[in-house]
Amino acid sequence: MASEERIGEIVLEVKDLQTYFVTRWGVVKAVDGVSFNLRKGETLGIVGESGSGKSVTTLSMMRLVPSPPGHIVGGEVILEGENILELNEKEMEKVRGSRIAMVLQDPMTALNPVFDIEDQVGEALKIHEGLKGGGLKETVVDMLRKVRIPAPDVRMKDYPHQLSGGMRQRVVGAIGISCNPAVLIADEPTTSLDATIQAQYLRLLRELQESTGVGIIFITHDFGIVAKMCDRVAVMYAGKIVEQGDVRQIFNSPQHPYTEALINSVPKMEENVDRLYSIPGNPPALWDLKQECSFADRCPYVFDKCRESYPPTYDVGEGQIAACWKLEENVEVAELAETQ
Amino acid sequence: MTSENGSLLQIRNLKKHFAVGGGMFSGFMGTKTWLKAVDGINLDIEPGTTYGLVGESGCGKSTTAKMVLMLEEPTEGEILFEGQDALDLDKDGRKNYKSSVQAVFQDPWASLNPRMRVEGIVGEPLEVNTTMTKGEIKSKVGELLEEVGLQPYQSRLYPHEFSGGQRQRIGVARSLALNPKLIVLDEPVSALDVSIRAQIMNLLMDLQKEHGLTYLLIAHHLATVRYMCDKIGVMYLGRLVEEAQTDELFDNPLHPYTRALMSAALPSHPDDDREEIILQGEVPSPVNPPSGCHFHERCPSVIDECSTVEPEKTFPIDEHGVVCHLYKD
Repeated sequence: MASEERIGEIVLEVKDLQTYFVTRWGVVKAVDGVSFNLRKGETLGIVGESGSGKSVTTLSMMRLVPSPPGHIVGGEVILEGENILELNEKEMEKVRGSRIAMVLQDPMTALNPVFDIEDQVGEALKIHEGLKGGGLKETVVDMLRKVRIPAPDVRMKDYPHQLSGGMRQRVVGAIGISCNPAVLIADEPTTSLDATIQAQYLRLLRELQESTGVGIIFITHDFGIVAKMCDRVAVMYAGKIVEQGDVRQIFNSPQHPYTEALINSVPKMEENVDRLYSIPGNPPALWDLKQECSFADRCPYVFDKCRESYPPTYDVGEGQIAACWKLEENVEVAELAETQ
Repeated sequence: MTSENGSLLQIRNLKKHFAVGGGMFSGFMGTKTWLKAVDGINLDIEPGTTYGLVGESGCGKSTTAKMVLMLEEPTEGEILFEGQDALDLDKDGRKNYKSSVQAVFQDPWASLNPRMRVEGIVGEPLEVNTTMTKGEIKSKVGELLEEVGLQPYQSRLYPHEFSGGQRQRIGVARSLALNPKLIVLDEPVSALDVSIRAQIMNLLMDLQKEHGLTYLLIAHHLATVRYMCDKIGVMYLGRLVEEAQTDELFDNPLHPYTRALMSAALPSHPDDDREEIILQGEVPSPVNPPSGCHFHERCPSVIDECSTVEPEKTFPIDEHGVVCHLYKD
């Protein structure tokens, strides 16, 4: 897993990001003050359930939030020193796919069925790197070789339906890294792939990271993916990051009750658990959030203060932060907390 | 009432072959090709227990479930329910069978009619299969909703007014309406949010204890299967390749495919560094399955005879069956 030298300088900094949607039920604060950063060669997992805001966070980073109804109302997304929220659309087009790219886990739907592989892998190279003709072809073959497509010069003439699922996955990976991005976002749909296919996909991403040093952000609802792939993890609930830290630390001593509950409610393959902890209730509706902690209704540790206001984010030490009132007496408020 | 050996459900040499490819005349010309979705499986489910069928997409687990639910006619084989061949039943017998064998489906967004109120959804099986009056049905629906953790007043609501977990509870209430003996659970939690899954799994296990229900669980997530099942069968390309009691299977997987499946499962802790057996390629097409053992092309422990000879089921350990040449007596 994570070796220290693999991880380099900060390539992406998200500061107090706020993305709101204006709906007829009111303003939905889908992303409400989210901050994190990502280093070169590092893998960050953003974990959350549907509606937690994890996907809107990535869409905001790519500036792909449908508007209206969505608006990025505050915060900064600093990619390699540049706040990309200040770019105009034309400049943003140069960033997307070249410095920050996305791969989708489902290889069946991520490719366009009417273009051949050469076109699809070459598209970003043509636009961003200005390659054409023989040079473009060569680079496409190179990319396909990098993701270990056998006989790439022949296979690049194929259409997606002619490739197996595993090869399509590899092609999607090749598109993702074609312009050597600093940040790669891997958004995982909630419906999971078969275990053996997923294992192949995860290994592919790890190989790509090893060869290019790309920083990866994993958007997932599955703590298993986090355990296997990530160096650090941010847990999202109702539009906010409730806990963030080193992956081992989070697994060994989760500080936020939601993180703890999630880890305890997942069945394990390695041991026979008698009865799982089950989190009562449902995630809250985002247009109806009150002043209180949004997890209060489902929290086993809830006390008066939780109902009064949303807790600040506390610094638990060693880079672990959590937003929970039960930490108040023991630890200091984290610097990030000012943004809450 | 159970069969002679005490099983509630026995499946014997069950097969389902679909005709594929070729034009409409290919059938007459004798050039039809067959997709062997399920190709001769045998299993026994004891009353009051949960049997898990695991495997990847295309392995035939859902087709097996559909045949047990009589939603798909088997090509060959027997489904013995309480010792009687369900495929041989007359009209009344079939009706009885269908009330005793119910289902909970994967997607609670697709499996509930959006235009029906909950009372209609949960009460429909009662309307069709019993002589209960409207009033009786209404109070029964209220009871069923309470049993799955909802409130009786919610019977007036429509499915869209519920969250995913609540919808799945409605699906469970519906499946309980006719006091079934066997419930087929087809991926009952995989479409739900992670924080909701444990709720539904615990609910299903509580109901099982209370009513002495028997479950056939179809799932691809091994940890879910481990949590819920007493006995597990692993399917690959239409065949059952390994079968054992849950703890035995997880502690001591024998078939190379079962081992690969377990090694590919996601860990529950970052320090959990298990050996990674990554299989080459994908599950081959069931239209033209590989000769001999269906798994031989991807098998890391393949030996000569795997490509030519079909392996037989052996029991290297008591009550732990495996279909693999490595374990020939």
